[in-house]
Amino acid sequence: MSRNSSAFLAILTLFAFILTPTMGNAADFAVGTTLENFSLPDTSGKMQSFNDLKGKNGAVIVFLSAQCPVVKQYNERISQIAADYQAKGITFIGINSNHTESAEWVKTNAAENYKFPVLIDKGNLFADKLGATVTPEAYYFDAKNTLLYHGAIDNDKSGKAITDSYLRIAFDSALSGKAIEKTRANAFGCSIKRVEK
Amino acid sequence: MSFVRIAKSGAFAAVFVFCLSASMLGQAKTAAGNSAVAGAAIPRKPPVVKQLNIAGLRKALTPAGKPLLVNFWATWCDPCREEFPDLVKLDAEYKGKIDFITISLDELSEIARDVPKFLSEMKAEMPAYLLKAEDDDAAITIVSKDFAGALPFTILYDASGKQAYFRQGKVKMETLRAELDKLLSPTTSPANK
Repeated sequence: MSRNSSAFLAILTLFAFILTPTMGNAADFAVGTTLENFSLPDTSGKMQSFNDLKGKNGAVIVFLSAQCPVVKQYNERISQIAADYQAKGITFIGINSNHTESAEWVKTNAAENYKFPVLIDKGNLFADKLGATVTPEAYYFDAKNTLLYHGAIDNDKSGKAITDSYLRIAFDSALSGKAIEKTRANAFGCSIKRVEK
Repeated sequence: MSFVRIAKSGAFAAVFVFCLSASMLGQAKTAAGNSAVAGAAIPRKPPVVKQLNIAGLRKALTPAGKPLLVNFWATWCDPCREEFPDLVKLDAEYKGKIDFITISLDELSEIARDVPKFLSEMKAEMPAYLLKAEDDDAAITIVSKDFAGALPFTILYDASGKQAYFRQGKVKMETLRAELDKLLSPTTSPANK
């Protein structure tokens, strides 16, 4: 292969890498990975940083949606868990990455349902970074920003027959210094409505 | 008017009425026959939606000698409903060449209500299931390592059960067709060249 064709191939590969859309993939951001601090605007447009919002025992990032029926089923439970663990130094941060939901809609929905901040992830870049695909989907980080648990809030979206409160169990384990037994759990929900890239 | 003229007029009217009646009857029969052929006059039987548990899901995801296409959806999922008409068309196009099933994630209470109602409206003929898993996490893991539970999710397995393609979110039909065609023509697949 000539030097010219090698250079051409290298450039082509680089372009292919740059142009490849970042798709959400559940395996992208594994448990144990450290999250770099980041800032996103809240529903009033004010920039908020993760490290400023984080509690002394960490924070939960939960991907939400204003229209997803599954999120609506979970809203009351999410608010209750957030209230219960706020006092224990774990804060909640909502993220809305759905390009189909207007800022005004997200703002109204957040005001009606949550007492914690909801940040707007325009262009779903943050969802891409974590590989988030579904709403609701939770990421629990400790005080050092290490991911301890990722996935569903519990094992029953209807809330009528919960036998595993994954998120609460993860919190309680971490707060009592025990290893979290189940660090990953999936559940059915709505897809994050990404922009076409 | 003479009696003969009256009789002639009467006979003519009788023949006219007889011909008209016969013609109308014939048309009605033909119309009924056409309707029967097109199926328009016969009400569609609502599709039967079968319940799946984890064991049933495993069995349903095992191909029976043909590529298997599976669409996970729910009536509460807007993009699922939006893409459904295209999936119904695709089913008609590939009927006999692949097996295509749909699995709803609606509540069990909808198995004889909204789920068959929607499928009926869509004129869907694919075998339809509703998954009520003992553990959603386990069910999702059975489907694919690339599945995190977000709907819609469409997955194509080859005849041996190996994952050939998946799509999280609304399917791009041209891509799915290309993947199906690739799978149905293994000799043209780059891997076999």
